[in-house]
Amino acid sequence: MFFRVCCKINVPQDKSNKPISQKIVISEGAPSLKENEDGSGEVPPPPPKKPTSSVNRLLKRIPQRVLGTFIDQGEAPDYYFQKYPEDHPVLGFFTWKWVLTLGFDHMFSSPIFLGTLGLLAASLMACTYTTQIPLVKVARRWNFLKSSEAICKQEFSEKLPRASVQDLGVVLMGAGYEVFLKGPYMYAFKGLAGRFAPIGVHLAMILIMAGATLSATGSFRGSVDVPQGLNFVVGDVLSPFGVLSKPTEAFNTEVHVNRFSMEYYESGEVSQFYTDLSLFDLNGKEVLRKTISVNNPLRYGGITIYQTDWGLSALQILKDDEGPFNLAMAPLKLNGDKRLYGTFLPVGNDDSQNVKGISMLARDLQSIVLYDQDGKFVGVRRPNSKLPIDIDGIKIEILDAIGSTGLELKTDPGVPVVYAGFGALMLTTCISYLSHAQIWALQDGTTVVVGGKTNRAKGEFPDEMNRLLDRVPELVEKTLNNPSESMSA
Amino acid sequence: MILSTLEQILTHISFSMVSAVIILHLITLFVNEIVGLYNSLEKGMIVTFFSITGLLVTRWVYWKHLPLSDLYESLIFLSWSLYLIYMIPLFFKKEKNSLSTITAPSAIFTQGFATSGLLTEMHQSGILVPALQSQWLMMHVSMMVLGYAALLFGSLLSVTLLIILFQKDIIRVFDKRNLLLNESFFFSEVQYINEKGNIVQNVSPSSVRNYYRSQLIEQLDHWSYRVISLGFIFLTIGILSGAVWANEAWGSYWNWDPKETWAFITWTIFAIYLHIRTNKNFRGANSAIVAFIGFLIIWICYFGVNLLGIGLHSYGSFTLTLN
Repeated sequence: MFFRVCCKINVPQDKSNKPISQKIVISEGAPSLKENEDGSGEVPPPPPKKPTSSVNRLLKRIPQRVLGTFIDQGEAPDYYFQKYPEDHPVLGFFTWKWVLTLGFDHMFSSPIFLGTLGLLAASLMACTYTTQIPLVKVARRWNFLKSSEAICKQEFSEKLPRASVQDLGVVLMGAGYEVFLKGPYMYAFKGLAGRFAPIGVHLAMILIMAGATLSATGSFRGSVDVPQGLNFVVGDVLSPFGVLSKPTEAFNTEVHVNRFSMEYYESGEVSQFYTDLSLFDLNGKEVLRKTISVNNPLRYGGITIYQTDWGLSALQILKDDEGPFNLAMAPLKLNGDKRLYGTFLPVGNDDSQNVKGISMLARDLQSIVLYDQDGKFVGVRRPNSKLPIDIDGIKIEILDAIGSTGLELKTDPGVPVVYAGFGALMLTTCISYLSHAQIWALQDGTTVVVGGKTNRAKGEFPDEMNRLLDRVPELVEKTLNNPSESMSA
Repeated sequence: MILSTLEQILTHISFSMVSAVIILHLITLFVNEIVGLYNSLEKGMIVTFFSITGLLVTRWVYWKHLPLSDLYESLIFLSWSLYLIYMIPLFFKKEKNSLSTITAPSAIFTQGFATSGLLTEMHQSGILVPALQSQWLMMHVSMMVLGYAALLFGSLLSVTLLIILFQKDIIRVFDKRNLLLNESFFFSEVQYINEKGNIVQNVSPSSVRNYYRSQLIEQLDHWSYRVISLGFIFLTIGILSGAVWANEAWGSYWNWDPKETWAFITWTIFAIYLHIRTNKNFRGANSAIVAFIGFLIIWICYFGVNLLGIGLHSYGSFTLTLN
């Protein structure tokens, strides 16, 4: 478990050269308003090709992305020479030539992929302009239906004997409809926002794409391993990522790692990594101090500092009560990618051919394993335990294990734009669920003819209508004889 | 200690209830409908729902974080969401809902899979790795799993629609052969198949039957559309909150990590579904096929990526048991 953690936080660093750029989550998110015009006759039939073409484009990109999952991304060409050799082509034809020529080694930044994304954005805008906007114009233009035949032609229609259209209007208003009454005619609607929202969805996605383009062209990234107690300058770590990347004032900031520490669960697994950072400006004045951890980055002047990795940099020991000495630790790649650090304290005369000494190994900051000159296990000590260990007459006390923190830095001018797009997309997608319902009614003598339609909730609509129409009061005899009086009232 | 015992008890209750419900389902499938049995089915589902809710709450209290940190917990949560979808119509309408014939088995299978021996190794992991310690865990994962549940359910409705549409062809083939062979004693069998095929059991002339059939198809079509739209909202919110979280934890809001890529593919498929729905000619079978593809893609996204054990999202994947 413990080692998995390390790998995980490692990864973003390895990938730091990879484009975040084309993230561009795109495609029209919600149903556009194609249907539904037939009621108000004068609607121009929407150009039928547009949505289909953007759907096609969506379809075309899927195979690429699927491939991207199966072909390892961002490796050196040699890797592909080995994995897809020419003498044993995968599936009989697929060799490294394919991978490299078509840019499958960096699928998500290959020209094909970016091209299809661009096309998608274009079709998105075209669809909004040619299909959605005319539809909304039509939806806003409402009118009274003045014949009972027209009303009866709607998806839902009903005749209410002995009722008045005013009462119906009141009932509908109570149910949240906007009601318009003119003489014997009534028009009511609800959920108009559900018609506008899909346009918002498309616009939000264009916004996200724009923000992602900004990220791709204008950001800086970099990562650094800093032992506890050392400094670095932000500008030295960050390297430009795109053509528009411009350094800012804040790049002169110097960062000092005050302390790196790890917290553990009782079971011994790491619960969190902490790095205490101080930021100094050019004059050496501390401008900010913060303890960062995974999920809790530091932000200053457009720069974000993430906790992504860790390592062991040195052991501080006392040898025969002399010292303290700092022994640099090096990562040992023994069993695969497991994390193991080691250091070595030479013992005896330095000029002999093969120097022997005491080896110290550690997997984390908690415990150090010591081996004697013959490589035999001697014991385990915790840093700071003040418990010396005796190895062949040499007394060693481990004072401290000094960690180094792996930080990832970035500036990304696209984030605010992308976040705005995210917010808009969430909101408009939710609103798109609303169903735009329209109801027409007509007083025909003592009978009210009601008809209506809706664009999404076609199943629930008749139920809701029946429930509402049940609430319309039945007129008693007296007013019945004089419907015009009740209308004027 | 008490809490972990309680958790054990609840797990066992829900699992034995689920087994009982499955047996009852089988009985109702083979023997004709018994009203009393149906009622007890419903009660069984309700009991299971509450014991799963209790199980989730217990885990929440015991581990002090939302029980969504690994595959087992997210599967339990998935089946809880399906139970929720099953329960909602029960609260609103007292009448028997034909949609529950789909929710109930899917909830049961999910839970059965989660509780079965395959994943027992993982039940006790219970701690959060540093990257998961965030408020976003609740928002992101619960939205994703709710989205998966709704999308799975909606596309299952579409699959049912496809089966019903497809069945007509099968029956036609039967009929043709029947005429060809001209064997009258086969007729009763065909009649029986027809009867089984239409969920609305009706022996009346075919026109009436066709009416019920087309009504059922229309209902399935409509409800799968509504449920998928709802699931799409959850999926969108889930993906976007995940992106915001990734910007906090991994340093970038989109990494083209396999899980992210597949979530995007799922999202795209259902976006295509919603667009196809806007064209009246493509409703019904065409959109149902897209939903069916989406159904498969969700499983790849949910399990396949974890099975491969690649990328940043490999928390609580199957490889965990190997380490």
